Amino acid sequence: MKAFILSNPKSVKDALQLLAVARDSKQAKAIQPLAGGQDLLTEMKEHLAEPDRLVNLKGIAELDYLRNLDGKVQIGALATLARMEKNNLLNEHARVLFEAAHSIASPQIRSVGTIGGNLNQRPRCLYYRLEEANCLKKGGKECFAYSGMNRYNAILGGGPSYIVHPSDLAPALIALDATVFIAGRTGPREMPLESYYKLPSVGDVRTETVREPDELLLSVSFQLPAPGTRSTYLKFKERESYDFALASVALVLGFDGDVIRHARLVLGGVAPVPWRVRAAEAALVGQKADTQTAEKAAELALAGAVPLSGNAFKIPLTKSLIVRAIRSLA
Amino acid sequence: MAQDEKDPVATWPARENLKVLNHDLVRVDARAKVTGAARYTHDVRVPGMAYARLLLAPLPALKIKKLDLAPALKIPGVLGAVALETDRTRWLGEPIAAVAATTPERAEDGLRAILLEYEREPWAIDEAQATAPNAPKVRSNAPKVSTDGDQASAERACEGAAAVIEATYTVPVQHHVCLETHGVVVDYKGGDEATVWCSTQSTFGFTPDAAKELGLKASRVTGLVEYMGGGFGAKFGLGLEGQAACKLSKEIKRPVHLMMTRRDEFLAAGNRTGGKMRIKLAASQDGTLVGMVADRRRFGGIGNGSMAKFPYIYAVENAYSETLSVPMNLDSNRAMRAPGHPQAGFGMESALDELAYKLGVDPLEMRKRNLKDKVYHRQLERVAREIGWYEHPHRDKPGDPKAEKCIGIGFGVAVWGGGGGGGTECEVRIERDGSVSAAVGTQDLGTGSRTYVAAITAEELGLRLEDVTAHIGSTRLPSATGSGGSTTTGSLAPAVKVAAFNAARAFAARLAPVFGVDAARVQFAGGEVRDTQGAKPALSWKQACAMLPAEGLSARGEWTKDANKRLAASGIHGAQAARVEVDTQTGRVRVLDMIAMQDCGLPLNRLAVVSQVNGGMVQALSYALHEERNVDAALGVMLNSTMEGYKIAGSLEMPRMVTIIDDEDERGVIGVAEATCIPGHSAIANAVFNACGARVRDLPLTPDKVLFALGKVV
Repeated sequence: MKAFILSNPKSVKDALQLLAVARDSKQAKAIQPLAGGQDLLTEMKEHLAEPDRLVNLKGIAELDYLRNLDGKVQIGALATLARMEKNNLLNEHARVLFEAAHSIASPQIRSVGTIGGNLNQRPRCLYYRLEEANCLKKGGKECFAYSGMNRYNAILGGGPSYIVHPSDLAPALIALDATVFIAGRTGPREMPLESYYKLPSVGDVRTETVREPDELLLSVSFQLPAPGTRSTYLKFKERESYDFALASVALVLGFDGDVIRHARLVLGGVAPVPWRVRAAEAALVGQKADTQTAEKAAELALAGAVPLSGNAFKIPLTKSLIVRAIRSLA
Repeated sequence: MAQDEKDPVATWPARENLKVLNHDLVRVDARAKVTGAARYTHDVRVPGMAYARLLLAPLPALKIKKLDLAPALKIPGVLGAVALETDRTRWLGEPIAAVAATTPERAEDGLRAILLEYEREPWAIDEAQATAPNAPKVRSNAPKVSTDGDQASAERACEGAAAVIEATYTVPVQHHVCLETHGVVVDYKGGDEATVWCSTQSTFGFTPDAAKELGLKASRVTGLVEYMGGGFGAKFGLGLEGQAACKLSKEIKRPVHLMMTRRDEFLAAGNRTGGKMRIKLAASQDGTLVGMVADRRRFGGIGNGSMAKFPYIYAVENAYSETLSVPMNLDSNRAMRAPGHPQAGFGMESALDELAYKLGVDPLEMRKRNLKDKVYHRQLERVAREIGWYEHPHRDKPGDPKAEKCIGIGFGVAVWGGGGGGGTECEVRIERDGSVSAAVGTQDLGTGSRTYVAAITAEELGLRLEDVTAHIGSTRLPSATGSGGSTTTGSLAPAVKVAAFNAARAFAARLAPVFGVDAARVQFAGGEVRDTQGAKPALSWKQACAMLPAEGLSARGEWTKDANKRLAASGIHGAQAARVEVDTQTGRVRVLDMIAMQDCGLPLNRLAVVSQVNGGMVQALSYALHEERNVDAALGVMLNSTMEGYKIAGSLEMPRMVTIIDDEDERGVIGVAEATCIPGHSAIANAVFNACGARVRDLPLTPDKVLFALGKVV
């Protein structure tokens, strides 16, 4: 990897001051924040990222927390995945997030990987990860997956890039109506996590979020679901031991008796962003979580899918996962 | 020694009398390996050592216009650089240059600084490119089609048969993925001597070449392979990486550590031949195979590829096959655990299985009907019983794919020659303090050879395993052959046995006067020496050894045809069964159970045999479900040269594994490594069909292919 300077700020304020140089678009790639490093360091080793300076956030104690404030769960950017998968509150009241955290990578990676890093990780597309392939995501002219090997790529929301967003936490958190808190050039701002991600057709194709290079994601928060809410994260990997999702389903259902009163359905591994399907959610509300309803929701969720040459299998696969997830909460 | 008797010769005792061999022996180096005390080539550090990295060809075919190493030398910490290829490269990943530096990272920086200018030349790295009308000439010597059998009679036999199937089966390129990558440490600082550590499967196979590269006499170069992290056939000889390290060491007059990176390993360290087999197979009503016509393609990169002959294992009355290598601008195939067999096995076992279901014949019975050798019958019946075949609800037709989860069972068989050959010698030393060593320069690839060198010696001298130290892995020790084709045991065990036997006889001759009897009556057993017939009290082993002179006692033994006949054998079988669960909604194949029965003559170490067979099953499972090299032919790159992209089975993929050693095989020792990885993937693929009727003819059996075979992908 290219040599770099490591800065170790002790506060968010100091970190943001360091990152401010990235406001100059020429410097945007020259400085990057570092948390668990499980993605960024591999990108640097592969020369996909070559920053001159890393702003190490690990020394900022104020970013490391997971707390419940009167029913509002707040998670600091530095909270590790391991911390989330061991948390009783999440286990009991937000299974979708608990299960998503547990499904990620390996115990070793979960012990250092953070929620902030997970939400901001870069694509796993084989072309993107190969230094020699100067693809659209790296400033090239072509998405090689479109005409090349695309078994793992997008069936929804693709074009001009066909990456899938690799985060497991993002679909789960969006299903919990989570918001993110960001600070940087324009001062602190809060937005729904769903709006944090952007399709490749919007803005700069090389980025996956609306975060500016001088901004930091500081925390994520969501209201604990109301009593009667059940949730799950169903992730399907090509290989069970250590893999990213071929497709995943984050599902939150609020019940009144056995009738669904509230529904959030967000897909992972199938689109360049966590793919929330409102039509399917609407079809669930007012119904029982039976097979017929589940199949209808699955059809609606995949209605707009446009497969590439090698990933049509993701359509029946994802439908099956949706049906299973819904049935499992009945 | 008794003059009036025929000279005794070394033979294995009756199995029930064995005290060490044919038992479960924890390998002697287990603790060293688990604790990290074992020093592999990768771990070697010598004073003043530089680390080296290789610059590999970034595209499949290049005309090099300019290769300037000077910019690399300007990088801080870089100590030297050498050019390896300055004209043309013919395969993706072909080494072009090497850089040595004070740290691996600086060497990497040096590589990136090298100025390489080139013109792309046309390449072919997939079948479509390689067989296109305007395909580039990959090699100057274009391969020719080879044929086996008589085409006309094979075609005729198929025409008149009760049932025929015709299908194309493909297998991917698989990689060895050894835990320790290829590499060497060359300890040379100028002068006329050197020591070279190498991660190799042949201790004596690389030092002559290393000496040549260094400009030294072979007798002044010591080769060391104390521990090595897996080879599977890919690690013979010095290799391009070893040559590069020697060149660098000679250039900078410092020791050089050059271990390939994982990416280098995927691109330039060999692989298992991929292939395609179009098979027409015909049978009579009762399931007897009567005709076979096959058209086969081998994808061995720049090499020839390998694929075992058809018909494979099963007898077919009239068989004809054509085989053609399709060269590509990719790293050559190398030997990989049973070269050519898992591929041929997949074609043969799949086609036979398809035919059995088409005829409505139990696929197990179909196999037995076409296997003349009765050993297969007992092995197949045993694994069938263990896996629950006879209680399985659907044996001659697949299960109903409407069920969400379907259970199926499938089978496969193996064959391997093995046996031993000359060139191995062992020295056994007995010291005056009672300690014993057995020395032979052989290598231990993880197969447990170090352990049985000690175990054979201990058995012969009536000692415990821990009483004997095995010295292996050095060219300063007596010669030994390389480990290939499951021949190590057949070559090594007789040499060790004869050496130990000779040591025992020599020691007995010295002790005979103490007992006042003939040497033939002196016996070593249970850590004691006694006269088998006399009343004199036994001597403890230590007491007996104390009578030796200061230099102790040593004796040698070597592999001979005669010893081989008495102690070793060749030719093994093997049958495996797999039970799988297919999730018909997601295409997930979960292997629940794998059962293997394997003959191997006398098992020197039962635990090691079981471990070998389990390892073979794991490798086959991984080949069945996950492993494949992906290339983008248009870009000319390998897409998955990482452990993330190139998927191998992990702990969650492991089934329940049961290995049964076939103890009805009463022959001498036979190596067992290769046969064990031949049937597993075929058994799994056949089990998937038995479960739900999805016939996947293209490995690996990933969810997309299973869903497609089930008709779920529109």
